[in-house]
Amino acid sequence: MGIGDIWNLIAMQPVINTLVVMTHYLFNSFGLAIIALTLIVNGAMFPLTLKQIRASKAMQAMQPKIAELKKKYGKDKEKMAREQMKLYKESGVSPAGCLLPLLIQMPIWIALFQSIMRVLAVIPENLAGLSQYLYSWPVVYSTLPLSNEFLWLNLATGDIFLALLVGGTMWMQQKMVMTTSPDPGQRTQSTLMLWMLPIMFAWLTLSFPSGLALFWVTSNLFRIGLQYWIGGWGGLVKSSPKKDTGRDKKYKQRIAEVEKAPVGGADVVPSSAREEDVSYEESGDKRPDSGGGYPKSPRDTKPKSRRGGGRRRKRG
Amino acid sequence: MRIRNRALPVGKISLLIVLLLVGLLVTGCTGIRGSPEGGSGAMIVEGTIFLSPSLAQAGGFGCSAPAAEGKLVALNAETGVQRWEVPLGGAVPSGGFGCAQTTTPVAIYGSPALYEDLVYVAGYNGKVYALNAESGALRWVYPREGNIDSIVGGIVIALDKLYFSCADGNVYALDAATGDMLWEFATEDKIWSTPAVDGGTLYVSSFDKKLYAISAVDGSEKWQFEAEGAFASTPLVDNGTIYIGAIDRYFYAINAADGAVKWEFQAEKWFWTRAVVFEDTIYVGCFDNKVYALNALSGEKIAEFDLESPVRSWPVLAEDRVLIATEEGKIYTIDAVNNQLGLFADLAETIYAPLSLSEGVLYVYTQEQNLHALNADTGVRMWIQPID
Repeated sequence: MGIGDIWNLIAMQPVINTLVVMTHYLFNSFGLAIIALTLIVNGAMFPLTLKQIRASKAMQAMQPKIAELKKKYGKDKEKMAREQMKLYKESGVSPAGCLLPLLIQMPIWIALFQSIMRVLAVIPENLAGLSQYLYSWPVVYSTLPLSNEFLWLNLATGDIFLALLVGGTMWMQQKMVMTTSPDPGQRTQSTLMLWMLPIMFAWLTLSFPSGLALFWVTSNLFRIGLQYWIGGWGGLVKSSPKKDTGRDKKYKQRIAEVEKAPVGGADVVPSSAREEDVSYEESGDKRPDSGGGYPKSPRDTKPKSRRGGGRRRKRG
Repeated sequence: MRIRNRALPVGKISLLIVLLLVGLLVTGCTGIRGSPEGGSGAMIVEGTIFLSPSLAQAGGFGCSAPAAEGKLVALNAETGVQRWEVPLGGAVPSGGFGCAQTTTPVAIYGSPALYEDLVYVAGYNGKVYALNAESGALRWVYPREGNIDSIVGGIVIALDKLYFSCADGNVYALDAATGDMLWEFATEDKIWSTPAVDGGTLYVSSFDKKLYAISAVDGSEKWQFEAEGAFASTPLVDNGTIYIGAIDRYFYAINAADGAVKWEFQAEKWFWTRAVVFEDTIYVGCFDNKVYALNALSGEKIAEFDLESPVRSWPVLAEDRVLIATEEGKIYTIDAVNNQLGLFADLAETIYAPLSLSEGVLYVYTQEQNLHALNADTGVRMWIQPID
């Protein structure tokens, strides 16, 4: 059994058959099945996504400090790297915290993507090839081939409105997690990412079947909702130095709730531990850190002086 | 001590991962075809082979486009030397943006048909072409302006009329000489199969899970039969019975007079190919890698042959032997008298197109764009001609 066969067995076949069965039960609408399955998969990966978002935010919150380090040790790259690692360590932030969930999620997204393309089976070659992926469930065979019509869309062809929606939601999602870095290089990179990816995906959407765009839009909207739930509108609204509002308190409360939930270990120090003064020894968790970790509210991502900000930051 | 640790450039790595993912999708590593390949079976008349080659894929989804446009070629049946070829134009805008194709290539799935001095082909671009069989000169095209939906099945000719079905769900009858439309019959979903004609009746299978019997004269419906699944295969009519397999994994025998089911047989996967009949035995290939020999009267399974690869190509009957090809390029012979299976030839090329037999020669067109001529008795290759 080759790697392709294993991939088909554990990823493609379950997703393809689930899509067909869901289409059957969702009024024979493949569009509804795509939306429903995307939401289910997103829901199932919620802990990983949450972890990734939290880690990304924590990393972004550290950017001012990294910029400071760059200013200080810009010429000495070795020293800079050493200090940067030290900073990560002290703050309890793992750079891998952003990447690992992304890497774990990637195969799932690829399977979902490939399955949607296969199930669409617009041309004879693809419909004929689909037979090799099907379970022997009668409902699967009575449902195929699926109709490509959904709302105003032909799910097999590109659609300009969906392309704009893909680009727009992707931009919005990225903007929500983006913070302003004092480092011009970092700022340029962030701005590039903010615009380049949405434009690229919108452009790709025009060349791909709308069924896939539907999957992208649903995913983006789910993540926007999730990010709003965690940290509000984030970078979408300009932050002001006014005092905490009820909304901020709500965020903090939600973050505390989320962080209390067992999601397979956090890469950042729970702020709840800091707030509730849970001792390191008692909890068996990472050592609390008043200076680093996940920000209490989006406003905490603002650049601010960290000098003397925490016990572990004191040197010498 | 030197510290070798370097800070992890998370942003760059994330960007790299996303670009890698997008690259995978665009370069077609998904293994899903984006545009129709086509590739018809050969039609042989009076020493000339008529064939429409498949379109080579330039890549996968996204910006891919077939490498060549469709065409009809005529070859000498003895030598494989080309007599003429005609590019089939009339491409239509695909409505795509960006790197999407600006035209739809003319893939052709259905085998050409010949009537009097004209050879006919129906294209995936929604056009039917009638050309002079001697010279390849275009006589007429239907529709004259614009296009109808994709045509996947082939053309059948009877009563001076030309019949074909279309992905718009309609069956069309045209005047074979002029290309004028005589009538059309609407079903409720796509049709990808070739109609079968027997006497004055046309039998058409549709994605709407129905098999229709239509008057070949005026297109009026005689009866309809509804299965559990859609039909993608072409019916076979023999001795007052229609034999056809469906996507619901059943193979049906239906009374041609009234559409009543005589028997049904369930396989493990669905049927795509047309069956052949020898005396009282039906032979049909299936996507479950098997060929079934069924009693034509009762549907009882007489034998099954595991060919270890799906069967998509139509089989042919060579006297008392069934010649049948698998997708992976092996051609088997089944002795219809004692139901013994033997390997006839291994072309090691993908076979989707129907097999064709004429004057003791088996013609096989492969997706690698080669036309093979094999001695139908021995399996010895007589010649091979690349047609792209």
